[in-house]
Amino acid sequence: MFNYFNNVYRQAIAVLATSEAPDIDASESYAPTMQIHQASVPDFAEAEPIMESLILGTTSLSIIWESELTHEYQDLGEALSEMTELDAEDEWKIDAHVYDAACYVAAGLMAYSLPAPRIFNHGPKSVVFNWAHESDNLYLTISADKMSALISSPERIKRRIDYSLSELMNPSLVLSSIKAAYSEKPVKLLITGAMYDPSELVLVD
Amino acid sequence: MRCGYIADGDSLFRQSIHPLSFKSKVFAWERCLNFNHNPSGSLLTSLSWQRYVPTTELVHDYGCRLAFRINEKRRAEGKTKDRNRHVYCGAYHLKGSAIRALSAADGLNEILSADVVHRAEDGEIAHADLIIVLRPGGEVNIEGTKTAILDRLWNTCHGPLKHICDCDKDITVHPSSDLITSPAGPYSDTRSYFLRLWYIVRFRICSWLWRSFWLWR
Repeated sequence: MFNYFNNVYRQAIAVLATSEAPDIDASESYAPTMQIHQASVPDFAEAEPIMESLILGTTSLSIIWESELTHEYQDLGEALSEMTELDAEDEWKIDAHVYDAACYVAAGLMAYSLPAPRIFNHGPKSVVFNWAHESDNLYLTISADKMSALISSPERIKRRIDYSLSELMNPSLVLSSIKAAYSEKPVKLLITGAMYDPSELVLVD
Repeated sequence: MRCGYIADGDSLFRQSIHPLSFKSKVFAWERCLNFNHNPSGSLLTSLSWQRYVPTTELVHDYGCRLAFRINEKRRAEGKTKDRNRHVYCGAYHLKGSAIRALSAADGLNEILSADVVHRAEDGEIAHADLIIVLRPGGEVNIEGTKTAILDRLWNTCHGPLKHICDCDKDITVHPSSDLITSPAGPYSDTRSYFLRLWYIVRFRICSWLWRSFWLWR
C-alpha cells in the first residue's frame, strides 16, 4: 500500500490568468504568500467563482476565492476524518486507506483550484467526490488503490475513466486526462490500468 | 393475468427513510439507492412494485411499515430510542424499463444483466429485487460501477412523493421536507381513472392469489 499524504494543508494562493509575474507592491499584506498558476484548470474547475476572479484580474477577489477554497477543503478534510471515526456499522464509515487516498486526491484537486466537492460513499471501501456543472455531473470514486472518473449528463454517460494505483501517484496526469475526457468525444471507456479491449482505448494528450 | 412478472412499463418505487437516506440533516440521494454487493458478484437493492401498491396511499403504507420494522428490529437489539428512530419520508418512482436499460447503456459494459424481479420479503408482497449482474472476469472497479449505476438510476427517477406517517406526526421538523426533486422532475400519476380502478381490482385479485399461495405453502 502506498503511503499517501495524510493531511491537506491550507495555503493562501492567487489564481491569475497569466504566468507572468503580477505587478504587486511587496508591502501588500498578501504578497508574501502569492503564488502564480497558469490558467490550465480542467473545464470543471472553470466554475463561476474562478472565472470571475480571472476576468476581473483583481488579486483581492482571487485571494478571497482562495480563502474560500481553502476553507471548503478544510471542511472536506474534516468530513473525511469524521467518516473514518464512525462506528463500523455506520453507513458513512470509510476505511483508513480510503481516507488516505481521498486526502491525497483532495490535495491534488485543491492545487488545481477545483471547487471542493460534495462527498458520499458506497460503504467503507470507497468515497465519491461529486461536482454538478449545469446539468452534468462529475464523480471521482476513490478506493484505497483505484480511482474512477465519471462524467454524465441526464441522458447518458459521457465518459468513464479508470485509474490504477500508479496513476494515482501522479495527480497532474490524472487531472489532465479528466480535462481531456470532458471534451466532446464519442463515449468510450478508458481503461489505463487493465485494458479489456484495445478498441476501447482513448488516447489522451 | 401474470401476477409475478414486472413488465418494462410497470412502475416501481424506492422508499426513502431517515436517517438511512440522509447525511446529517441533508438528504443524500445516493444513499436512497444504495446497493448491497453479493459475493456472487451481483448488486442488489429493494423496490416496491406498483402492482401491489397501486395507490399513493399504499405506497406510503409500505414505507411506514418498512420504517416500523427497522425500528422494531433495532429496538429488539437495544439500539433504538424514540428520538433517533427511523422515519419514512417518501418515495421516488422509476420504470422497469429504466432498470433493464442499464445493461445496454453506453459506458456500462461491465453489466451483464439488470433486472427487477418480484420477490415477497418480510410479508410484503409488493417487494421486488433490483438485481444487477456484472460480467465475470476482468478487473472491474466495482465502486466506480456503483457510482455509474446510481447516476443512471437517479436521473430516471421521478418524485418525491412526500409523506408523514401517523406515528411520526409528533416530529416538529419532519425530514420529508428535505427530500429533493429528482432530475426527471416530480412524479405525476398519469393513469386514467379507469386504469387506476383496474389496477386496484387487479391488486386485490393478485393479493388474494398470492396470500392464498403463501398460506398454502
